[in-house]
Amino acid sequence: MKKNTANISSKHGALITLLCAVVLAGCTTKEVVVSGNFPPPLMDPMPITLGIWYEPEFEGHEFFDEAKGRAESTWIVKTGEAQVDMWSQLLQTMFVRVVRMDGRPAPEQLNPTVDAVLIPKVQELQYAIPAHTNVKVYEIWMRYGFELVTTSGDPIANWTMTAYGKTPTAFLQSDEAAVNLAAVVALRDAGAHFITSFQKVPDVAQWLGARAADTQAAAL
Amino acid sequence: MNRILKQAAALALLPLTGCVTSTVDEMVFNEPTEGIGDSSVVILGRRHASDYETEFDFIECIADHIVARDSSIEIIDEIEFINTMYPWFEPRTAPLRPADIDKLMEREPVADQLAALKLEYMIWIDGSTVQTNSAGSMTCGVGPGGAGCFGFGTWGNASDYEATIWDFTDKAEVGRLNTSTSGQSYMPAVIVPIPIIAPVQGTACDGMGDQLLEFLSSEH
Repeated sequence: MKKNTANISSKHGALITLLCAVVLAGCTTKEVVVSGNFPPPLMDPMPITLGIWYEPEFEGHEFFDEAKGRAESTWIVKTGEAQVDMWSQLLQTMFVRVVRMDGRPAPEQLNPTVDAVLIPKVQELQYAIPAHTNVKVYEIWMRYGFELVTTSGDPIANWTMTAYGKTPTAFLQSDEAAVNLAAVVALRDAGAHFITSFQKVPDVAQWLGARAADTQAAAL
Repeated sequence: MNRILKQAAALALLPLTGCVTSTVDEMVFNEPTEGIGDSSVVILGRRHASDYETEFDFIECIADHIVARDSSIEIIDEIEFINTMYPWFEPRTAPLRPADIDKLMEREPVADQLAALKLEYMIWIDGSTVQTNSAGSMTCGVGPGGAGCFGFGTWGNASDYEATIWDFTDKAEVGRLNTSTSGQSYMPAVIVPIPIIAPVQGTACDGMGDQLLEFLSSEH
């Protein structure tokens, strides 16, 4: 009897294992930790000492999309590390001096003295793979939110900016590698968009104009 | 049976190619009479369209084709150029007309970098290779006696590329080439699949490479 029970248990165990294997086979998780090389921009630095504060959510930014059916995969796209790499490299060349802040600018927060502090945020990230769209292109779209504030946290400017990256399907290229490449292209596009649009943001332009006027007045 | 298998395998290894039809149109206004001397050329792909992008390997193929036939022509590697000039040749920021070069040259670091590269011609390639049709079916199986496939598959590819040549010194368009190529590939399978591939993109690369070589080289 004991032996029979043991047999039944082992049969049930094997059945459960088989069922689990079948169920799990349809629901894979694809994880991409975005990594790439970001070249420094070719430009003269702006005469501004810029503070930079990365919120913990930005530094550890990841996108999670749960599979909606057994035929689909769950996606985790971790962009945080690559975001910090790209923005640090870009800002260090774009401005004369860039200082990492100790905390989010606020009246009671002790921080190094800078002209303004930039706080980037990833507000939204969307991705598309050929399995979703039937188009042989992998795409990443991001919307950033930027805050430019004084060291005491007073707002100077708030604006949003989009970035887009795509890469076509390639022979022997995995979904993960293609999504990584699309994300790297999107990050490069974010850098290009930021460089070409920063001085055109109305509130930033006004602030830069006021700074230039102050410098001129001080020189007289 | 073994002999048939060996013969089929040997046949599969033969470089069988399908038929390709290619048309090249050329329109050149101001060809250099004595080659480009010690100046350099860059060949860049257009990637700002939403539904396609010019393949990096196609650009590399054209550059290799030209250099293999006239090693005196210095062609700057596309990716190296884009990275060095970041962010001014990204899909979002790349100049679309020769007149845009003046705007680009207003930036001192960009002008200095382009002068250091001794850039004489910038060649933009716009287009892509797509699969136009596919038909047939193939079944493969594995048994205790071996493995094999049976069936027939066929697919068509078409390439359409346009090259625009900009004279970087005169900031003017000096030539335009167009190549359209199409071909049908076949894959019959009796035990071993025998691919008969139409080298559509390769033919487009050779056609465009030859025309550009004629333009750039004093020896051709």
